[in-house]
Formats: sequence, C-alpha cells, structure tokens
Amino acid sequence: MMASISKSEKAYIQASLLSSNPLRADGRGLHDYRTVSLETGVAPLANGSARVNFGKAVDEGGGGTEVLAATKLEIEDVKPGEGEEGGRIVCTVTCSPAAYPQLSSNALDELQYDYTTILHQTLSHPSLHPTDLGIIPYKKSWLLNVDLVVLSDAGNIYDALFMSARAALWDTKVPVTRAVQYVPPQSDGARGKTDTEDTMEVEGVGSSSLDTRHMPTASDFELSDYWDEGAPLSGREKWPVCVTLNIHSTAYFLDATLLEEASIPLKLLVVYTFTSPTSSSIQALRLVGPGELQLPQIEKLLQESEPFARQLHTALNTKLKDEDIRRNQKARDRFALRS
Amino acid sequence: MAQTNFDRRRINGPEDSFTPIFIEEEDSVWTPGKPRSGRGAGDIRPIFLKPGLINQANGSAYIETEKTKIACAVYGPRQSRNTTYSDKGRLNVEVKFAPFSCKKRRAPMRDAEDRSIAVQIHQALLPSVRLELLPKSTIDIFITIIESDGLEGCIASGAVAASAALADAGIEMLGLVVACSASLVGPEIWLDPTEEESSISSASLIYAGMPALDSVTSVWQTGSTSVQDSIKCMKACQERCRDVHTVVAQALLENAKPT
Repeated sequence: MMASISKSEKAYIQASLLSSNPLRADGRGLHDYRTVSLETGVAPLANGSARVNFGKAVDEGGGGTEVLAATKLEIEDVKPGEGEEGGRIVCTVTCSPAAYPQLSSNALDELQYDYTTILHQTLSHPSLHPTDLGIIPYKKSWLLNVDLVVLSDAGNIYDALFMSARAALWDTKVPVTRAVQYVPPQSDGARGKTDTEDTMEVEGVGSSSLDTRHMPTASDFELSDYWDEGAPLSGREKWPVCVTLNIHSTAYFLDATLLEEASIPLKLLVVYTFTSPTSSSIQALRLVGPGELQLPQIEKLLQESEPFARQLHTALNTKLKDEDIRRNQKARDRFALRS
Repeated sequence: MAQTNFDRRRINGPEDSFTPIFIEEEDSVWTPGKPRSGRGAGDIRPIFLKPGLINQANGSAYIETEKTKIACAVYGPRQSRNTTYSDKGRLNVEVKFAPFSCKKRRAPMRDAEDRSIAVQIHQALLPSVRLELLPKSTIDIFITIIESDGLEGCIASGAVAASAALADAGIEMLGLVVACSASLVGPEIWLDPTEEESSISSASLIYAGMPALDSVTSVWQTGSTSVQDSIKCMKACQERCRDVHTVVAQALLENAKPT
C-alpha cells in the first residue's frame, strides 16, 4: 500500500515466494521474524511505556519499524458522557509524518484513524478489561489512555503496534488509592475522619434500617504512600499479541517488509490472547486487501497461526520479565553499590 | 423551630401525592440459558431490497431489515479527479449516519464511526469489483444510514445494498457480495444480532463473501472466542449468505424486467 513498486519487481518477489524453495530478499525463512528489540520505561512521565523496533540494522543503528507506546492514567468522574463505572480504556495511534513522507496530511489522518480503530476495538473490549481501574464506586474512575506513535514503518506495522501496546500496558503502574469518607462524630466522641477498608463496607454507623438505598458513602480518595509508583495493572497476562499472515495464493509468510507487503494481495490479522499455557482465544480477526480466500483456507490459517502467536507471546513475556528485573532489581543493586 | 404544627405521631407526608412512575419492565431481558426471543438462533431478519430508487444515480439500492434502513447510491465510473495515474480504478465508499438514525442524536458532521464502517464495507466489496478494467477512474459509493439497529447489522446490510447498487449501475463484478453478522451469546451463535443482542454477546463477527464463487472477501471479529467457535460462526454465516444471495439476485432480476 505504501511503497510503490514496479510490476517486474512485484513478479520477482511473488515468484520467489512461491518457488519450491521459498526465498526472501533478506534471506529469512517464510515464518521468521526480523530482529525485534524492545525496551520498557522509555517515557519517564508516563505510567507505562515501551519502544518496539522490528528489523533495526545492527551496524547502522537505524531503520526498521519503530513504534513508541505510552499509557497515561487520568481521573474521571463517573457520569453519563464521561467516565464509566470501572474505568475505561482509550487507544490512539499517531503516525509521524516522517514515517510516511509520501502521504498527504489527509491520507495520514485516515491511516492513523484506521490503526486507532483496530487497536481501540480490540484493547477496549470488555473481555480484556482490567479490574483495578475503579477508584470510588459510582463516583470516580481511571481513564487509561494508550497512546502509540509510529516513528517509522518498514512493514508489519500491526504486529509492532500490538506488541508495543502490550509492553506498555504490561509496564503500567496504577497508583494505589484509598477511599476516604466522613463519618459524623459519635456520642463517645470517637474519631471523625475514618478511612474505609479496602472494600466500601463501612455502612453501619447510624444508618437507619429504613434507608434501602445502598449509596456508597466514600466521598474522596487519597493516594497512599507506596514504595513504587503503584501496583501493576491487573490482568496484564491477558493483553493480546497480533500475528499478520501475508497471504499469496497458497503460501503465507510472517513479518513482511514494505516491498513484500506491496506485492501481496491479502493480509489476515489474527489477534490472540493466551490466558493459560494450553488455551488461547481470538480477540480480533481482520482481512485486509483486495484478495479473497476460501473458508477452508481460513480455517487452516487460523489453526496454523496459533503456534506462531504462542511463540511470539512466550518470547515477549520472557523479555518483559527481563525488563522488569533490569529496571527494578538491577537498578536497586547498582544504587546500593554506589552509596 | 420553624415547624410549629409538626405532629410527630402522624405520618407527615407531602400534601399531594403522585403514583410512582416505574421504568417500564422489559420482559424481554435475556438471561443465560434462555432461548433467543423473537426468532431462532440461526434466523436472520427479513430483508426488503429494492434497487434503482434514486433516479439521478447510476445505480442505487434501498435495504430494510426490520429496524435497519439504509439507502445506497453509486456514481461512476468517472474520471479520477486527482491527476496521478493509476492503472486500476478506485473504489470510494462513504458512509453517513442520519442525525436521527440512532437512539442518541448524531451530530451531522463526519464523526469517527462513519469511517470505520466505510472501511469495512470497502474491504467487503473490493475483491468483487473488476477495477483492473477501469484505469484512471473512480467509483463513488454513498451510503446513508437512515435508521440503525446495531453496528453489525449496518455493516452487513450496507455491504449487501452497495453490491446490489453496483450491479444496478452495470459495473462489472466477479460476483454479488453478501454479508452476514453473528454474535456469540453464551454457547449459542445468533445470526444477524440486533443492538441489544450484540451488547450481551461475548464476541461478534461480520462475514462477507461471494456465494457464487464460494469465496470470503472480509472477516471482522471483535471479542473473545476460541478458534473453533470463530470458524463455526463463519460457517453459519456462509450458510445464511447463500439465502441472502438468492434474495438479492431475485430483487435485481425483478428490477431488470421490462415493465
């Protein structure tokens, strides 16, 4: 779609993909990814952030598909047209004009809007919603903004977007809050201001049995002192990974470069989430491009794509855990050494 | 105290009273385990399709499936306005919601949802239209959603109407595109869900294809399903799409008959 490509170049790429011994320009196998580099905690002012690069040239220090993702938490009132009970998630993708110099600003807007749609529809689905985005029931909640910036596009942008979003959400820390309420002083002149327990069950004090409305009594909250910026966002294992299958008649391959993307008619985006080592579920499915498929083919592709997604998921988890250790444990050790 | 004649021994109600207004109890509230109300799980809403209602357009169609009402007009093929040469034609899909089409008023400006629907309808139609025969030209498809009952239904019906309008305009296609949506509610697959039904579903899927060629042109899914369920949904949709195809073909045939 992006790169313009001559007919002969296209035919050359297609023929080498379909040959009995499939060849790709950079010597990869059909189901190999380029080198993926990932770093979390790149934006100090965000609640969680990550940078992902696919296929960075080692010697040159540049190139490849690069996406920066960051999450920011905002406090919202729960009321119609604003916050929702239990918090909400909003995803936005911005494409840097430097990544797409050939596009007009209008076309760029449409492109980033399309990326935003698939990310937002997938990540804000109720089946993935984290449980700890509420602050005070029916009064205040967190708005989780997931913002992604495409810094450069060298193919396979969807996988990079989903991977960076997952890493940033993994890295997200939610500030620990504690609901606070005012309880009128009792006759024995006990404490006036009381902290509620974690759950809002301080109902008893002087409430009449005729009052059938169950109104939450907490009116405000405070940020409790915590050694870190907060607790990790719950359900972070659930955030999905995307595998784009680039389909050319009977063959398919992963992690296409721009030229390869321009020479194939159809892409199938499959977004998987892995809740346990054995089970998986599809979170989103999209067919993109002017080509067409038969249903048995889709069935086969879905079944074959699952192991790829699982590999990607496992590798990503390992790397993210490494990053957690690098940024917490090792940083602490280094600090201890210095003092 | 201000309340001098306040009698504590009586019930001190307000002077005039009103019967409370209850929020109308909807008896159709679905609970898990109950069958689908109104129709069977695999049934779709009846379709009314009429091609050629907009005279000034090259081709047009109007589709109605109970509470979903969509008008579609096709203009072209005509010369592309931008000067860059392309050896393939361009398919341009625009979707507009009427301000009164939903429960909440939609501001009559280009809002976000319109484009995502247009992109999906574009994807559904693109493989069917023989754009390689129309270099340097553009086909414009304008879709107006007059009344909407669920996004899934709008996209599916919009694609059906657009394909019928393309056929009405005499644009060469490989086959008629028809679409069908499905929702996973509990263990069951409900085809062609309404807005309410899709809000209780765990996942929804929109399938578009050309039954004449047995091919799939677009699959769109959100929500959480297993691979098997997803394939089952697609199969159910494909099955139903064959029926929709006969409806569309019949409507086009009746319209083409000389009167």
